[in-house]
Amino acid sequence: MKRMESPYKWGMVIDLDRCTGCGACVVACQAENNIALVDKQRFAEGRNMHWLRIERYWEGEFPNVRARFLPMLCQHCDDAPCEPVCPVYASYHNPEGLNGQVYNRCVGTRYCANNCPYAVRVFNFLNPDWPQPLPDQLNPDVTVRSRGVMEKCTFCIQRIRRAKEDAKLEQRAIRDGEVQPACAQTCPPGAIAFGNLADSESLVARLARSPRRLRLFEDLGTDPSVIYLKGGGHEHAG
Amino acid sequence: MELLGVFENVDDAAAAVDGLIAAGCPERVITSVTSVPYPEGVLVDNTRRSWFHWLALGGALVGACAGFLLAAGTAWLYPLQTGDKPIIALFPTGIITYEFMMLCAMLGTMLGMFLEMRLPDLGRRAYDPEIANGLIGISVTVNGDEMVQRAETALNSAGALRVLNDEVS
Amino acid sequence: MPADRIKAIAASNEAMLSSTRPANWRWYLLAFLLGIVVATGLYAFAHQMLTGMAVTGINRPVMWGLYIINFVFWVGLSHSGTMVSAILRLSHANWRRPILRGAEAMTVFSITVGGLFPLIHLGRNWTFYYMIPYPNQYGLWPNFRSALLWDMMAITTYIIGSSLFLFLGLLPDLAVARDRATGWKKMPLAILALGWRGTAQQWKTYARASTLMACLVIPVAVSVHSIVSWDFAVTLVPGWHSTIFPPYFVIGAITSGVAAVITLMIVIRKAFRLEAFLRPIHFDNMAKLLLTVCLIWSYFYFAEVFTTWYGHKPIEWEVFSFLHSHYALPLFVMLLGNTLVPIPFLMWKRVRRSIPALLVISLLVNVAMFTERFLIIVPSLSHKNVPFLWGTYDPTWVELSITAAAFAGFGLLYMLFAKFFPIVAITDVREETEALRGESQRGRTRLATLVNEE
Repeated sequence: MKRMESPYKWGMVIDLDRCTGCGACVVACQAENNIALVDKQRFAEGRNMHWLRIERYWEGEFPNVRARFLPMLCQHCDDAPCEPVCPVYASYHNPEGLNGQVYNRCVGTRYCANNCPYAVRVFNFLNPDWPQPLPDQLNPDVTVRSRGVMEKCTFCIQRIRRAKEDAKLEQRAIRDGEVQPACAQTCPPGAIAFGNLADSESLVARLARSPRRLRLFEDLGTDPSVIYLKGGGHEHAG
Repeated sequence: MELLGVFENVDDAAAAVDGLIAAGCPERVITSVTSVPYPEGVLVDNTRRSWFHWLALGGALVGACAGFLLAAGTAWLYPLQTGDKPIIALFPTGIITYEFMMLCAMLGTMLGMFLEMRLPDLGRRAYDPEIANGLIGISVTVNGDEMVQRAETALNSAGALRVLNDEVS
Repeated sequence: MPADRIKAIAASNEAMLSSTRPANWRWYLLAFLLGIVVATGLYAFAHQMLTGMAVTGINRPVMWGLYIINFVFWVGLSHSGTMVSAILRLSHANWRRPILRGAEAMTVFSITVGGLFPLIHLGRNWTFYYMIPYPNQYGLWPNFRSALLWDMMAITTYIIGSSLFLFLGLLPDLAVARDRATGWKKMPLAILALGWRGTAQQWKTYARASTLMACLVIPVAVSVHSIVSWDFAVTLVPGWHSTIFPPYFVIGAITSGVAAVITLMIVIRKAFRLEAFLRPIHFDNMAKLLLTVCLIWSYFYFAEVFTTWYGHKPIEWEVFSFLHSHYALPLFVMLLGNTLVPIPFLMWKRVRRSIPALLVISLLVNVAMFTERFLIIVPSLSHKNVPFLWGTYDPTWVELSITAAAFAGFGLLYMLFAKFFPIVAITDVREETEALRGESQRGRTRLATLVNEE
């Protein structure tokens, strides 16, 4: 059978030299994707529901301490370790390079979460509960997941879908910059760029050619679609 | 008609077999009925060749095909890309084929065994429950009143505790 | 004298069928207590199904915990019967005879209990049937590239295969039980015995079928635990992605199984007064088998640790150091029970023939094996690739109740089996004394002789 092809290959570039660790992207993601709220106790138990998290690492000894911020989200790997291990095909690779998660197919074996080296997969340990008036804030374009189901960053597939429908109505391709996931839209210093890596003139494709590029856990061979830029740090400022 | 003579020990039973052969019964209609297996030749030496292993082999082949169709066929019917793995992946298909092959081989073995032993045996058969306590039975299938008489005499003269048949309850 | 022979055989039948005598108050009390533990586990499971997995200790990153530990442990335990029964049958080890039935029954019940855990650990248990390949209106099929599907196939095959193997062994014994039964037991036993009489033809076919089934069930058993090991080995989790896992797991399973058979033999010997049949020689030989597999297990573990230590890959070393520092006590328990105690002690004949010593050692081995499963699963998941998400795992009352219920359920199933079916392979034991053993005058003494099996 032929492998399905698509003119789009979604990718993201995150510029770590611009990231201030403010966390606005995390909040935006939560708001856009109807992510459940977690209290302090459950957070400490390791049950937080962040699809996108800011990892903070401290380097060095006082007074030469630096904080490093790393926004970590689903890398949408082209050779995703989470996909072959799902017994029911709830995790699969779609032709546009996204790692898809099918909520109503997931039986909750959690094998995918074990095999994800980036630990970006999130499990619904309980049914979500939003105290009033938060249910009014839920995004109607995104389902609310029940307990027992795995979820993770989808590159705001609902926004990609919407853009594809609009483009189809107007009989054109999706323009560069038309699709903005919630995190990219919100980031104040503009550290997150999203677009079509298959289009060599798109912003993400140009940024991805930067000499500062790196990918996480490259040696594991997962071939992620998220490219980080790092290297023009404070020490270059003279 | 099947006659069953019940004996206390191996030697008596062996003498009975010899007596039956002398009385004109071919060895193929004589068999032992015991609750533990005796080595071949101690009592009778006329077991037919076993054929049920062909059913085991047949089961293995059917199972291997079924397993292959299950793993490769369903992947072909429902091709979803996962990782960089091919749609029809070699190792997983091999594993499923192997497991199904072994499963159907075992089922074939058991089915073949039951068919060869002709169990479950629903018919009326000559049997003495005391055989479970170590008595040794010698069974002979004879036709005609005269042969029945000679067989009974042979069994009794070898020291049978009792002679049963399959027509009387 | 001939009548004495029959009386002796009848008495030996009676002794070997002692477990099927009407139950006394002790049996009912034990069954009741075990039933209570099982009921608690069922309640805990219902609570989990209605509330969500939050009631367990599972978290991010440790997404597999006590349930999978149980799964691997029980599947491992189920290798007992295959190894003891099938391998000893094929190698014509004459001392296998009184042990066969107990080991085969243990296999069936432990794989049954183990096979429940993949269903218990699901986030959405009620949708488990998505994993079953059945034609449906959506055209959906499960993913055979997933190791969990291989698990499903292998465990289904093994449950069916070992149940058939158990029934095969039971067939002539059911006939003995049928012939000796009175009252209500006669009818079901007659049905189950399928009209077996014991003609020469039946015995010959039976012997060939036993050999063939033994030959088939051994590769299945090896494949089952290899497949279980691949649940871990095919992942990218540091500490799991190791090629030694399949043989390491298979040996671990055999170790666990052999130790459990020893424990069970000690228990049934006492409970059903089978001292005449389960003699010191049997325990001596089983202990030698246990010594051998403990040695092999220790060798595999050493190889695993040694290559990790020498290679010093940062993430694998991190997992290893975490294990040593955080889980030092379980590590010690595991090494104590699998290596430090069995190997030196089982080298002594006096220990091998001492029932109390063997009880302690065999229980220690299984405690150590359970700990080993824990040490494989939890430390690797706790300290995966991303340091920001390192965590720990503490099981809750839900998981502990279900674990206890698994042990109690196994015990209950075994008790029920022993109550209705002979727990000693009657015809196998009697075959040796009645048909195969003899005596012959050699020189100045009379020697015991034994007919060689074909």
